[in-house]
Amino acid sequence: MSERRSIGQLAGAAPDPSQPAIVVDRVTEVFRLFHERPSGLKERLYRLRRSSYTEFNALEEVSFTIEHGESVAVIGPNGSGKSTLLKLLARILPPDAGTVLTNGRVASLLELGAGFHGDLTGRENIRLNGAILGLTGAEIAERFEEIVEFAGVRHLLDTAVRTYSSGLEVRLGFAVAVMVDPDILLVDEVLAVGDAEFQERSLERMRQFRDRGKTFVLVSHDLDAVRDMCDRAIVLDHGRVLFDGPVSEGVELYRQRVASVTAPPVDRVRGSRRVAIDEVSLLGPGGEPAVEILPSTPLTLRVRLRALEEVEVCSVGVVFSRGDGTHLYELHTTWQGVGVGPLSVGQEATVDVRFTAHLLAGQYAIACSVTDVSGREAWAVVADAARFTVAPAPGGAGLVDLSATTAVTEGPARRMEGTSRPIPLPRLQRRQAGG
Amino acid sequence: MQPTDAAAAVPGAIRRTSLAISGKFVELWRARELLNQLVRKELKVRYKNSTLGFLWSMLTPVLMTVVFSVVFTQIVRIPLADFPAFFISGYLLWQFLQNSCQGAIHSIVGNGDLVKKVYFPREVLPLSHVFAQLIHLLLALLVLSPYLVYTRGFHVLLHLPTTLVAIGLLTVFASGLAMWFAGVNVVFRDLQELFVVIFQVWFYATPVIYPLALVRSQMGDRFAWVATVIEWNPTTWFVELFRLGLYGPVSATGDVVNPLIDGTPTWPDVASTLVAAGWAALMFLVGYVVFLRRARTFAKEV
Repeated sequence: MSERRSIGQLAGAAPDPSQPAIVVDRVTEVFRLFHERPSGLKERLYRLRRSSYTEFNALEEVSFTIEHGESVAVIGPNGSGKSTLLKLLARILPPDAGTVLTNGRVASLLELGAGFHGDLTGRENIRLNGAILGLTGAEIAERFEEIVEFAGVRHLLDTAVRTYSSGLEVRLGFAVAVMVDPDILLVDEVLAVGDAEFQERSLERMRQFRDRGKTFVLVSHDLDAVRDMCDRAIVLDHGRVLFDGPVSEGVELYRQRVASVTAPPVDRVRGSRRVAIDEVSLLGPGGEPAVEILPSTPLTLRVRLRALEEVEVCSVGVVFSRGDGTHLYELHTTWQGVGVGPLSVGQEATVDVRFTAHLLAGQYAIACSVTDVSGREAWAVVADAARFTVAPAPGGAGLVDLSATTAVTEGPARRMEGTSRPIPLPRLQRRQAGG
Repeated sequence: MQPTDAAAAVPGAIRRTSLAISGKFVELWRARELLNQLVRKELKVRYKNSTLGFLWSMLTPVLMTVVFSVVFTQIVRIPLADFPAFFISGYLLWQFLQNSCQGAIHSIVGNGDLVKKVYFPREVLPLSHVFAQLIHLLLALLVLSPYLVYTRGFHVLLHLPTTLVAIGLLTVFASGLAMWFAGVNVVFRDLQELFVVIFQVWFYATPVIYPLALVRSQMGDRFAWVATVIEWNPTTWFVELFRLGLYGPVSATGDVVNPLIDGTPTWPDVASTLVAAGWAALMFLVGYVVFLRRARTFAKEV
């Protein structure tokens, strides 16, 4: 039995305070992966009895309750069911089993500017988009000025949106979206848009919303944002609730879990698989697993590989990238004149890559590959081999730890009592620099 | 199951269903601003960057009227006074139905991004096409009314309520059909290919280019079923009603030289109005229920 109910939304009434804001009870969501979607008459006749699809549970027996005024983050690796869960809460999808109950007016920011039409002007699109998000004509008229002000599009109001820059379009979308004043707001990773200044205003808007005692559910990979915005975290993995509790514990658990990914899932391995990467581990100076480190900590990336075929010689490569995908550093053993091999079938080898993480606060990922000597043929690739976080620390702000020291070489100087911490570069700006 | 349980279960189920449907109506009512905006979008986008704008939508009916008038007055004779007025007073309504459904059939599939990302009552997508076409119909009537008044007399204006009732009922019918097409096309994409054929056949099965009276009087016993099919065709009732207010009744005389006689626009009889209303209600209910059942999983299927 599946059920989808919402109190208040139908009648447009205020939420019932005696009931929780959101109740998700043993919800399962099944997706059918059609090998080739039979949607035409011919296909239907052909496979009347044997529709070829595999089912997988995007969500499995998920249960939780969210009270009014809670701010909850849903975190988990890609494909863990976060977005599906949000779609269920937003009524875009019905549950295949279980009950989803929302109490109050729900607005979801799953995509900004959904339904914008390029041929319509900014003015017309504000009205259309507002209506799509469930505002009444009077509400749109009332908030129109505020939206225009917030998006900063006054001079382009009567120009077709098709001529807007993509950044401007997103800003307009966000401006309309945040004017929706729901009891429950669902946000899916849309905070990272626009320039730094606009982002700060957007975040401020979210905080205001939260601080007014409204219910807030955020799906994000940005663990800093999660920690900043939410009190509670629900960690999903493969469609199941792994953890439900205070945000700091949830984030920690998620970090460890993501960092401890060792055996590469088969689908991540591309190329002819002549070699298998059995384990990739990131170790701190004392040989302990490194998850959260301080700037400029010496680290060791240990790659254990195994030959699946006879291999004359191969090269192990690592790629460091920032959380947002910016390529930071790449190294292949052959560049330093080191090849691995010869290896007989089943023979194992371990390669240590020692480096110092001259990095400042942020999230970083390491990809790992085994290639032939020329680097043209990939024999094994693990895209997300290891992750680590550099904690904020005194000494500098920015992207790279240059380990600078300062000295007053002329004129008077004095020693300060208690060093002032560096102003951390706003999270926004860091992301902006990458995107 | 005990008999008492079964007896208790049935009214409960009906009550739940009617509750669900009335809930959907409330939701639809709350989404009226969205419907309004989508209709505006439909109209604006269509005539953006075109100088003649709305006049383009008059091109098809006017051209069709000219073509069919030449064919049916000069080549094949249908002995009727003011054939262009006769034709246009059926064709406008037909065009409304066909264009509504044609727009609606792609409305869910074509708005996949929206359907997957935002929740709103999905029925506003097909309905927006119906209402946009309704506005086209009313504007076209406005443009053509001088001609109709000129040929059929001031009775056309006097019996405007007849015309409006016909338009109202067909709007309900078209809404149901549009939702049905939109909903079914999501899982059965062949429908959009079949669409042209369906409407081609349906057009000729509806008394748009010929009067119903002619079919009734001229079909021999072997082809009596043709008249039956046309009478059972729901659109026949709407077209007849619409034409009654704009052109007037057409009846057969039994005379060989002058088989048809036409009157001035008049009021409809209660029975045929009720039949049209019945068809409208039935189509709307079927279309709406089918659509709502399908709509639950649109986000997975588009």
